Amino acid sequence: MKKVSRREVLAGAALAGVAAAVPGVARRAAAQSKASISYWNGLTGADGKVMDELLDRFTKETGIKVEQQRLPWADLYAKLQVSVPAGEGPDLALIHTVEVPHFASDGILESIDDAALSAAGMRGEDYLPATWQGGIYQGKRYSLPLDVPQHILYLNVKAMKDAGLVGADGRPRVPGSRDELVTMAKRIAKGDTFGFAIGTVGPGRYTWGFHNLLWQNGANIFAPDLKRAGVTDPAALEVAEFWAALEAQHKIAPPANANCRDAFTAGRLGMWIAGSWNFTGLRDAKVDFTAAPVPRLFKQPVVWSMPHQYSFPKPKAADRARRESAWAHVRWMTDHVAEWTLKAGQVSASRKSHTDPRITGDPVLRTLLAQAPNWQVGQPTPRWVAAENVTRPVIESIYTGQRPAKAGMEELARQINALPD
Amino acid sequence: MSDGARRRRREVTRTAYLFLAPGLALFVLFRVYPLLEGLRLSFTNARLGRPAVAFVGLDNYARLLADTRFHVSLVNTAFYTVASTIPILVLPLLLALALNRGALRTVLRSVFFFPFTLSVVTVGLAWLWLLDPVIGPFNYYLRTLGVPTRSWLADPQTAMWAIILTTVWWVTGYYLVVYLAGLQDVPRDLYEAAALDGAGGWRSFWAITLPLLRPVLLFVVVTHVIGSFQLFGQVFVLTGGGPGDATRTVVQHLFEAAFQNFFQFGAASAMAWVLFAVILVFSVVQFRLLRGHTEY
Repeated sequence: MKKVSRREVLAGAALAGVAAAVPGVARRAAAQSKASISYWNGLTGADGKVMDELLDRFTKETGIKVEQQRLPWADLYAKLQVSVPAGEGPDLALIHTVEVPHFASDGILESIDDAALSAAGMRGEDYLPATWQGGIYQGKRYSLPLDVPQHILYLNVKAMKDAGLVGADGRPRVPGSRDELVTMAKRIAKGDTFGFAIGTVGPGRYTWGFHNLLWQNGANIFAPDLKRAGVTDPAALEVAEFWAALEAQHKIAPPANANCRDAFTAGRLGMWIAGSWNFTGLRDAKVDFTAAPVPRLFKQPVVWSMPHQYSFPKPKAADRARRESAWAHVRWMTDHVAEWTLKAGQVSASRKSHTDPRITGDPVLRTLLAQAPNWQVGQPTPRWVAAENVTRPVIESIYTGQRPAKAGMEELARQINALPD
Repeated sequence: MSDGARRRRREVTRTAYLFLAPGLALFVLFRVYPLLEGLRLSFTNARLGRPAVAFVGLDNYARLLADTRFHVSLVNTAFYTVASTIPILVLPLLLALALNRGALRTVLRSVFFFPFTLSVVTVGLAWLWLLDPVIGPFNYYLRTLGVPTRSWLADPQTAMWAIILTTVWWVTGYYLVVYLAGLQDVPRDLYEAAALDGAGGWRSFWAITLPLLRPVLLFVVVTHVIGSFQLFGQVFVLTGGGPGDATRTVVQHLFEAAFQNFFQFGAASAMAWVLFAVILVFSVVQFRLLRGHTEY
């Protein structure tokens, strides 16, 4: 038997080591060839966990690492406004549609040209029009829609049954008009059980619910020229009158600061217009409920929606590799959007998943998708978010009877008109 | 003073400044500079994210004169300050007198101090749930007792009182400890002498305890008033300033101008300086009123 020298043993060991390391080296090399990205979002609810899972899968499949920062939406927007001009912004940020105009006009977001869109394989016809349009401000695109948080009507089976408001099939009846809603709600309202509410927490100051009603009546926060307030319009006043009557006159709605989600979960709220993001939580809590499209309470069956949008904050210096990685994530999420919809409960802006039998087979998701023709979003003005902030206390003062509806709307118009440009 | 003594004094002074330097540098960097920068901003139209900043003179201050919501927030803040100071002054003092002696003193002191170890958000969320009009235990027990309930935080008549109640519950333990420390410093022999002179407990309290606690009272009042003018956390969590603007405070108004409505740092800085001036005036008045004779 041939003797093996020490040198040969060492050489063999080195070779074996290299051979063993090659797959790892190759994997690492592949991963290193793709730049990691920073990604900020405000998905602080259950949807955040779903995003975590999907990001892990994205990294495994593509080798692109994602440094995620998650903070409440309001903090996220303040942080973007501060960090981006300082060159410390993320490569990718998820924002709400109504934030696009002011971030775009403040130079926080980078515009996305057609060449970049076509290179990424993104086409307008693949998306629902209201969501695709939401990424455009003054003729330029600044963001790409992911999904569509929106309102829906939740009906509590127990509360409705107790009030005798179920059909022969045992399912709760759905109101078809404002009068019918008030009549039904009055039958449910008894003691500390309420008939109807709009909003998750603090229904008195729930601007998104107020917007929904305004839009249903053909009114809006700003006049069509987007310069002056539109809230003293007779249609807006009619909505404000209804808002004022909910608790004080009809006595069907919970107090201005009530936690409607908890009340609904406890069976103390019969009909509840609230965000689509609540339904997975209601299922987890085993609440017996059904869902229906937002009823037409005024002139048109408009449904409030606020799509999440992917945006590219302006970097200090262009980094092609990181931008490529950010695009890769957007594309990957678009391809896997059905899973996002099923787990996070938000229907996608892209039509890709809309025929997926897992989605069409879910009664709530099917209802959400069916509302698509009626979706409306906030007006494309940089003053929208600030107007929303001043709207909150005014509508609450109307809800609680501190101010008559007309005086409240006039005060709101004064405050909106005083907002800086 | 001889040359040697003068030199020695200069050396001592130099050494003292050398030791003070790191602290002073940090103080100037993180306190004085932001303060002056805020003053400068208050004369501009500065908005975060917009590089163009113009000098606007006293415009931001003039706008505050016409800002009715700012006036409301000033009135609310003043109301909260006055209404909360009385229970904050009295309740911990009574508890301190009760807990100054006795076997369970240490345990009870810890129990009362515990709420103060919680963050304002935790306290706010806990009370938000306790006072919830539909599912909150507070209304549940009132209903059980047949007492009429109301929506404490959504009713303009009660919302600020609910915030005061929350704050008193939160900070009583802290002021209790401060009072207890003050009570420990009152010489026992004064009480013994008073007892020999036939003074009862009530007379001793008015003639000995209260006068000797004057520096502590001054500390409690001044710190609480300054804190009250800066009220924000409880309001932010419990009512968001509502219902309507019924509990809106100056700092909340400032916060919204700076961080929610267009990042108007110029306008917000003007509000901050107005608040600073108000606190300064109140603090000077309190010092004048309560300074008095503290040596016995």
